[in-house]
Amino acid sequence: MTLKVLTACGQGLGSCQIISMRLNAVFKRLGIDAKVTSSNVSMAKSTATSYDVLFCGQTLVPNFKTAESKGVVVIGLKNLVSEKEMEEKIKEAIAEGKIKPN
Amino acid sequence: MFLTAWTWFVSNIFTKPAWFLGLMVFIGCLLIKKPLHEAFASFVKALVGYMIFNVASGGMVTTFRPILFALNGRFNLQAAVIDPYFGAAPLQKSITEVAGRTMSIATMAMIIGFAINILLVYFKKQTKVRSLMVGGHVMNLMSWGVIAYLVLMIPSISDLGAIIAGGILCGLLWGVFSNLTVEPTQELTDGANICVGHAQMTGIYIFDKLATWIGNQDKKKGKEIRKIGEMKLPGFLQIMNDTTVAASIVMLLFFGGMMLIIGKEYMLTVDESLATQVWGFYLIEKCLTFVVYLNIIILGIKMFVGELSEAFSGISQKMLRGAIPAVDIAATFGFTEGSVVTFGFLFGALGSLIAILLSVLLKSPILAIVGFIPMFFDNGGIAVFANHKGGLKAVIISTLIVGMVHVFGGGLYAYFYGFSNYGGAAANFDMAVWHTLLGVIMKSLGYVGIGVICLVLILIPQLQYLKNKDTYFMVVDNYEKYKEVMAKKAEK
Repeated sequence: MTLKVLTACGQGLGSCQIISMRLNAVFKRLGIDAKVTSSNVSMAKSTATSYDVLFCGQTLVPNFKTAESKGVVVIGLKNLVSEKEMEEKIKEAIAEGKIKPN
Repeated sequence: MFLTAWTWFVSNIFTKPAWFLGLMVFIGCLLIKKPLHEAFASFVKALVGYMIFNVASGGMVTTFRPILFALNGRFNLQAAVIDPYFGAAPLQKSITEVAGRTMSIATMAMIIGFAINILLVYFKKQTKVRSLMVGGHVMNLMSWGVIAYLVLMIPSISDLGAIIAGGILCGLLWGVFSNLTVEPTQELTDGANICVGHAQMTGIYIFDKLATWIGNQDKKKGKEIRKIGEMKLPGFLQIMNDTTVAASIVMLLFFGGMMLIIGKEYMLTVDESLATQVWGFYLIEKCLTFVVYLNIIILGIKMFVGELSEAFSGISQKMLRGAIPAVDIAATFGFTEGSVVTFGFLFGALGSLIAILLSVLLKSPILAIVGFIPMFFDNGGIAVFANHKGGLKAVIISTLIVGMVHVFGGGLYAYFYGFSNYGGAAANFDMAVWHTLLGVIMKSLGYVGIGVICLVLILIPQLQYLKNKDTYFMVVDNYEKYKEVMAKKAEK
């Protein structure tokens, strides 16, 4: 099963697209089949539940409490361009059994 | 034969920006080795995205017209919304309707600008430029701006001239100004190897310096710098994270207020449809219509810029070679405590409000209304930097200034270039604070002016280098060592 991933930022224009591009590279390296989509916070709030994982800047995490309670894995990033941080957090989520690599 | 093909290309593709943009996206996708079917999909998205933008841009201007007339007739006042996406419509109208050019020249200028930024970074030993822009949305709007300045200020310039001059100016503006943010951003993020390539780069440089000074003053007095910590802000502020809601609130407050002052009687004379409607609902709906078009504009831009960004980013990752990527201001928000951005936003809004009241009292011919995007991202972003070096006091002072600059500087910018005739200006802090000067130089010196601007821009990183020769490249090459050196310097 392809992992469904959503990235979100304020306008859905700048940062989330950078996150998406870097994430694509990370997932490829980890051998995880993932489809990454970017969106703004407004939209992401209502669509998050149809995704498995959501990535956003860590300041935006509180917006996605509802999604989190419905089982979406919400991952907040400190450095939006750091592939290292993304890789660590993905591995952590796998170790905790939150993400199941396909 | 070749000439007919060229004429055909110019009249059918080049003068139709949607098609030209699509074509550029298609080529970009092939360059980063995307499969053909994906490149085709990106082409379609760019084309549709631009067409969506066109619809919204027209709608925005039509909605604004009656209010603009009313303000002008009633108070002899022009109003302009200072917001990059709101302002995208006036930019487009200025280039196409006022100057009679095609938007494709801006797209060409953007591509040349990106190439020049790559060259600047490639020869960084000589040019001293250490950063490369990656945000397609920023580059797209800024190239529209630069082309608008050129064709409005120097009407005799040819399309080709505008493409070349615009490309060089864009490349220099991006490389040189993002380069100014390298030290502040590295120090804020503790060496995350990013800097800011957006539209408040001058602000980051200035207010980082100001905050350092404020912080040092406190230290001299033996006081601790009081930083904004994890202060609990009232829960209702959380809704400001939702940009649709936030933009609606800002528009209702400022625009609604303005229409109340114009009054129902006068609005009736410019908009007959009001006769059959309840005034209160009419007013609210008018304000929210802007948010509707704003959302459509952003959707359209997102569609064509998203594809462009990917191509730019793919190319830039290969070209960086020890330079750092200049990213969106929002990328710095993660390197601070939760409430700093909101704090900056609130004080910036207060600054803008004070400035608007002052403009009314002083009978300014132009009234600038700050849109949500600059209000949130400029103030919030500058607050992040100010808090890091100078704490709460620096945040309050900096963002109050930024808020006022948005109104006074942004108003002047919209008025000078005539963007206010279409209701707004695509301005953030940088445009508000000094892009009017670019136009003044171009208007008074013509082609020589372009040369003067380029020369000054080239000199800026050289001066920066001369000031800190020892740490200038170290800050991006080896941040840990840079920290040690700076700590030693501080001890002395």
